Amino acid sequence: MRTFRLFAAVAVAFAAVALLSSSPAVAQKRGGTLVMIVQPEPPSIASYQNTSAPIGQVSAKIYDGLLEYGFDFKPQPSLAKSWTVSPDGKTITFKLQEGVKFHDGKPFTSADVQFTFMNVLKKVHPRGPITFRDLEAVETPDPLTAVFKFKEAAPYAMVALSGYESPILPKHVFETGDLMNHPNANKPIGTGPFKFVEWEKGQYIRLDRNPDYWRQGQPYLDRIVMRFIADAGTRTAAMEKQEAHIAAFSAIPGVEVNRLKAMPTIDVTTKGYEMISPIVLIEINTTKKPFDNQKVRQALSYAIDRKAIIDTVFFGFGKPATGPISSNFEANDFYTKDVRNYAAPNAVDMANKLLDEAGYPRKAGGIRFEMVHDVIPYGEDWRRMGELIVQQLGKVGIKTTLRYEDVPTWLRRIYTNYDFEFNSNFLFTLPDPVLGVHRTYWSKNVRPGAPFSNSARLTLPKVDQLLEAATVEPDHAKRAKLYQDFQKIVVDEAPVIWVTELQFTTVTSKRLKDYLVSPLGVYTSFNRAWLE
Amino acid sequence: MLNRLRFIARRLALAVPTVLFIVVANFMLLHLAPGDAAEVLAGEAGSATPEMVAQLRTKFGLDQPYPVQLARYLGNTLTFDLGYSQRHGMTVAELIGKRLPATLLLMGTTIVIAIGVGVLLGILAARGLNTWRDRLISVLALLSYATPLFWAGLMLIVLFSIKLGWLPTSGMETVAAFYEGPQRVADIARHLVLPAVTLSLFYLALYTRLMRAAMLEQADMDYVTTARAKGLDERAVVVRHIVPNALLPVVTMAGVQIGALLGGSVVVETVFAWPGLGQLAFDSLFSRDLNLLLGIFFICACLVVVANLVVDLLYTWLDPRIELR
Repeated sequence: MRTFRLFAAVAVAFAAVALLSSSPAVAQKRGGTLVMIVQPEPPSIASYQNTSAPIGQVSAKIYDGLLEYGFDFKPQPSLAKSWTVSPDGKTITFKLQEGVKFHDGKPFTSADVQFTFMNVLKKVHPRGPITFRDLEAVETPDPLTAVFKFKEAAPYAMVALSGYESPILPKHVFETGDLMNHPNANKPIGTGPFKFVEWEKGQYIRLDRNPDYWRQGQPYLDRIVMRFIADAGTRTAAMEKQEAHIAAFSAIPGVEVNRLKAMPTIDVTTKGYEMISPIVLIEINTTKKPFDNQKVRQALSYAIDRKAIIDTVFFGFGKPATGPISSNFEANDFYTKDVRNYAAPNAVDMANKLLDEAGYPRKAGGIRFEMVHDVIPYGEDWRRMGELIVQQLGKVGIKTTLRYEDVPTWLRRIYTNYDFEFNSNFLFTLPDPVLGVHRTYWSKNVRPGAPFSNSARLTLPKVDQLLEAATVEPDHAKRAKLYQDFQKIVVDEAPVIWVTELQFTTVTSKRLKDYLVSPLGVYTSFNRAWLE
Repeated sequence: MLNRLRFIARRLALAVPTVLFIVVANFMLLHLAPGDAAEVLAGEAGSATPEMVAQLRTKFGLDQPYPVQLARYLGNTLTFDLGYSQRHGMTVAELIGKRLPATLLLMGTTIVIAIGVGVLLGILAARGLNTWRDRLISVLALLSYATPLFWAGLMLIVLFSIKLGWLPTSGMETVAAFYEGPQRVADIARHLVLPAVTLSLFYLALYTRLMRAAMLEQADMDYVTTARAKGLDERAVVVRHIVPNALLPVVTMAGVQIGALLGGSVVVETVFAWPGLGQLAFDSLFSRDLNLLLGIFFICACLVVVANLVVDLLYTWLDPRIELR
């Protein structure tokens, strides 16, 4: 009897322990297929060679980078488990994770890092030649150490080492063959949590769980299927019907987002784009009359009602832009709002006054001059913005005609022939101004034939000096000061009109958890994402 | 039989210069468009140096003068080599080969629905001339003729996928499921319903009207009076005499419209994310993937030639008086 009681007590105790330990607060569930809408279908998934927006959504699941980033833009370990930066900023030593294997089973070593940066990213990546121009060598003292040697300090390079921006490729696969047209370009082999399985053009890309992923127990999803649906209405229907779980980069149009948001099954966020920080802007051809006159450019900037554009064109998603650097960079002091305020309450009066001063008085019919506004050919939103701008400029006496062409025609007109006056655009300003901001204002970026370079063609030695100094300044506080000075000068010069900080939306099923872990949003590996 | 084979051989031989002419004309037209594939790739990338663009251009063969490019292209086409799509990193033949079945499936189903239902409705309308049945069919035909395809498609999605939940919204199969065998066939069939119905609507209306008119015209012919006089019942008169003759204009129209059907399928393929040639053509135009676009045009030209041949052969079967020469 006594033994039985003892036995019972022990059994109860065991049961209690078992119960307690088996019910953690939130358990990630293993398994399931995530269906992701990627819009448009990417032209390739060779992210080392093409940075087209949809590519990163696929490639970042397959390729890891040396680092990942927190919402404070601070680096976190990935393939590099630790790192040290020398005081002059010219040497960065990375210690690599042990026991990492590529999807084909071959081990990952420092030789892959060296090959990726020196032979691939510096040569064929669209931004690589700029980001890593001062990277002279990657030394590999042992298989788990990679030492980056820079000619000058390159503070911006430290934020460009994610799996999205700088994917680590297997040397044994990519060292043979033509890198520009490699057989593995669309059959990628990386170290990431998901393995490439197949790409049915026009339908889907299928990625399966990598059971040998170096973060033990991860990823939680069995499979990711990326679907391509060209029609916005149909994409919305697929989300509504739960045929898909996530649609990022505003794949669901703004008007529908506000409707879906009310549904109990759907979540909407504008987070996860901080390292892209897109800015909507209007490039002005500063070499052409009357736009060579600073007062005219300032007047145009005053005449644009940013709030009205956000509310009517972008359905409330966005924030008025004050200058070339996004307010997302307030976090690291690069941003300043202490610049000429074009959104002032008396903005329309200011515009009229400046135009009178510049020598363009109202003539018959109240018209000062006529011009053509080229509209970025990326869809209806932009055309609507153009129509609104025509109205707003009409109020200050500028008669504007819209021109809407297809992408290739438009690219050639703006960036090769410079045959334009006033062009709307949006640019990713990326995680550091060197990568995404300099290109629009630096005089050495007046390069015919290079898309999204300095098409306004404003050349100011003062601006050049500041940008060049900020590029190589290792001290963060000094660097921040240089960028603040740059913003004051360039905002006053107004070679472009900064309209809004574009907010992309990500629409997700409420079942999808833990996908948003970084300012890179869907440009991350989803190693921790799971479906409820 | 020999006569028929000789006819087919001669028609195919005649088609060669036609198709070649189409290829040359397409080539010249497409090269009038400003911008090229290298520029688009660089533009999509968001940033690229002019050196990179030039490098791409050399690689794509775009740095050659147009006559050289045209001569090369023609030479390749004559050997059935449609070239390489630099953008997709695949041969054009492979890309088209993957998409063609989806397009043929959608087109085939559409033609069957449009002609089948159109003819049936046309007969019903003509037989009940000026009754409520005729009027109802005429109103429906007019409505479906006047409705834009993309709108009709979206409304069908809202009704049958979202509200009723009977059918999937888009795609050709449930991609997350990866079905095999008969399950896959059933799955594709379910996905096919909405796009095929949408695309048929317009043509169905047309054939209904055409069939009705042809039926009425034939009904007054002398041979019909003769058939009645020799004592055939009404049903036999309609089925054996009037309908085969009334079908001729419908078949003619359908033959001509095969090409237009490919055009209409761009819209339907976009709305329903149907992975066919139409969407591929649309995308390749905007990315200036000219090799691919020319390849698609070439295949379409061939399809139209073959379709017209089939229509001519159908004539002789429908109306034995027509001879092949």
